[in-house]
Amino acid sequence: MSELATLARPYAAAVFKRAKETGATGKWSLSLAFLSAVLRDENISVVVDNPKISKQALSTLILDICQGQVDDEGVNFLKLLVSNNRLSLVPSIATLFEAYKADDEGYVDAEVTTAYPFSEEAKSRLAETLEKKLGKKVHLNVTEDQSLIGGVLIRAGDQVIDGSIRGQLQHMQKALK
Amino acid sequence: MQLNPSEISDLIKKRIENFDLSAEAHTEGTVVSVTDGIVRVHGLSEAMQGEMLEFPGNTFGMALNLERDSVGAVVLGSYQHISEGDTVKCTGKILEVPVGEALLGRVVDALGNPIDGKGAIETNETSPIEKIAPGVIARQSVDQPVQLGLKSIDAMIPVGRGQRELIIGDRQTGKTAIAVDAIINQKGTGIKCIYVAIGQKRSSIANVVRKLEEHGALAHTIIVVASASESAALQFIAPYTGCTMGEFFRDRGEDALIIYDDLTKQAWAYRQVSLLLRRPPGREAYPGDVFYLHSRLLERASRINAAEVEKLTGGKVKGKTGSLTALPIIETQGGDVSAFVPTNVISITDGQIFLESNLFNSGIRPAVNAGLSVSRVGGAAQTKIIKKLGGGTRLDLAQYRELAAFAQFASDLDESTRKQIERGQRVTELMKQNQYSPMSVAQMAVSLFAANEGFLDAVEVSKVLDFEAALQSYMKSEHSELMANINATGDFSNEISSGIRTAIETFTKTHSW
Repeated sequence: MSELATLARPYAAAVFKRAKETGATGKWSLSLAFLSAVLRDENISVVVDNPKISKQALSTLILDICQGQVDDEGVNFLKLLVSNNRLSLVPSIATLFEAYKADDEGYVDAEVTTAYPFSEEAKSRLAETLEKKLGKKVHLNVTEDQSLIGGVLIRAGDQVIDGSIRGQLQHMQKALK
Repeated sequence: MQLNPSEISDLIKKRIENFDLSAEAHTEGTVVSVTDGIVRVHGLSEAMQGEMLEFPGNTFGMALNLERDSVGAVVLGSYQHISEGDTVKCTGKILEVPVGEALLGRVVDALGNPIDGKGAIETNETSPIEKIAPGVIARQSVDQPVQLGLKSIDAMIPVGRGQRELIIGDRQTGKTAIAVDAIINQKGTGIKCIYVAIGQKRSSIANVVRKLEEHGALAHTIIVVASASESAALQFIAPYTGCTMGEFFRDRGEDALIIYDDLTKQAWAYRQVSLLLRRPPGREAYPGDVFYLHSRLLERASRINAAEVEKLTGGKVKGKTGSLTALPIIETQGGDVSAFVPTNVISITDGQIFLESNLFNSGIRPAVNAGLSVSRVGGAAQTKIIKKLGGGTRLDLAQYRELAAFAQFASDLDESTRKQIERGQRVTELMKQNQYSPMSVAQMAVSLFAANEGFLDAVEVSKVLDFEAALQSYMKSEHSELMANINATGDFSNEISSGIRTAIETFTKTHSW
């Protein structure tokens, strides 16, 4: 996984720079998401990993699938990936691209898990507090999980803020041992 | 079912009451791969070098490689239950081990957990295993002796408090024996001892523990064990653990002695960890920082001045210096001291005690090679009387070594040469000493005096040790006051000199051996 990130980084950086120049980060984000969804498909990945299929055939196939979904620059990008044998990197490139984009626009994606449904007001207050703590704009993504028993569990990147009852019980279990 | 004392419901209630309920913030990562105790973790962007990482199942690891997208860590202990996809938490702490008086008399593993079945260790204090050695201003020069209780070493290669003296030799030359004797001789001196066993057989460790117990030396000793069956990561950190426990005493204005048995095995363990972490191999496949591995450890053995002790204890201890003396052990292969690790450690330490297998096999035990062994700072610390009397011993042995080759033509040699050879043979014989029988300063002084003043010249070479034993028991029974006086002051005055002389003269006239 970490090795893939190393390989994908130059591609993601190049794509992001180009997208910034043309002001099309949103569009690139969509097409990369589409491409990674395509490449995660089992039938496609078998073809991509098959050394017997020529680069020519592969690029025709991929371009056919993506017709209408990617623009000219996207097509060039795909051709480049095919000729460098790096097509399988697309999911990693997409992840890194999103990270660059988030960093550039100054926001973080926060996954919030709650035990009970969250009211809109509570959401906005939580977002506000998190923005203060992390020093960045926060995009909340709220899910529900009964197993937390109570409280919230927040993940923003590597950072985890565990304010759930389950977490505290686990913590207490360790302390009392 | 058995209840622990800590399971009384009132106690549990109190602990629950006092439990800190604030939300816990930490950074998390995911295990990407587990190979031979090395774990690669994705994420953990804020991990520090050497930070403790928490794995599932109450297992801890140490972050050693910080890379752009991943962290390479070693698992401390068993890693069989860790699998790909497990979450890893940062703890924000460098690895810490318990320290304190309560550890004395205990056998602990490399993380400070007791393994002697004597219950939990009653100490609340912990200290990080990696610390920077005391600075230049905090230090004081070495001027007090550590008596190892071995004639040949205390007379010729004296060790001072705060010194690092290497014990080096092939396998089966009595390196551990010297270390164990040194620990036994610290009984009643107030010097606390730490014995760190790295990569040794459990049977030999059990043997050392038993011997120390038999000689009443376990009460002032901490034994840190990372045996051959434990993971390489534990063998690599064990010396730092022991050093931290020793530093606790040093920083409180007390004296401590630490023995690393042995650092060759630690270097092997570190080489294993480094190669598995894919650090580039260098000479003998050791990583580039194997010198720093030992230098940062041995630099922590030092003597610190009273001002520093006062600062460290917050003014509680005044006017006392603290010291940590280190006796690292290195095992050579076929007497080759120019291998990588031996040369490194020789250059770091303040001298070495060089043991030779041919001396050992010819019955000279401890098998100290007096020519190659040196102590660079111990001379300043040596007890006065031993310094005065031991100087002659060194000279006698040096002259003897030059002439020893001619010993078989003794009848053809001139008078003075023959005398030197005979003196040398007797002094060599006198330097032999049994294991587990350390000598006091006074006992050593009497033996050395007898050699220096030529009382041994009339004794047959094969009878020298019998003569010594008889003389010692005579001195003990007839001149206990004189002996006590020497032990108390350590000075060499005319009065003491003549006292010993008359005592030996009377002994030679009236006793047989």
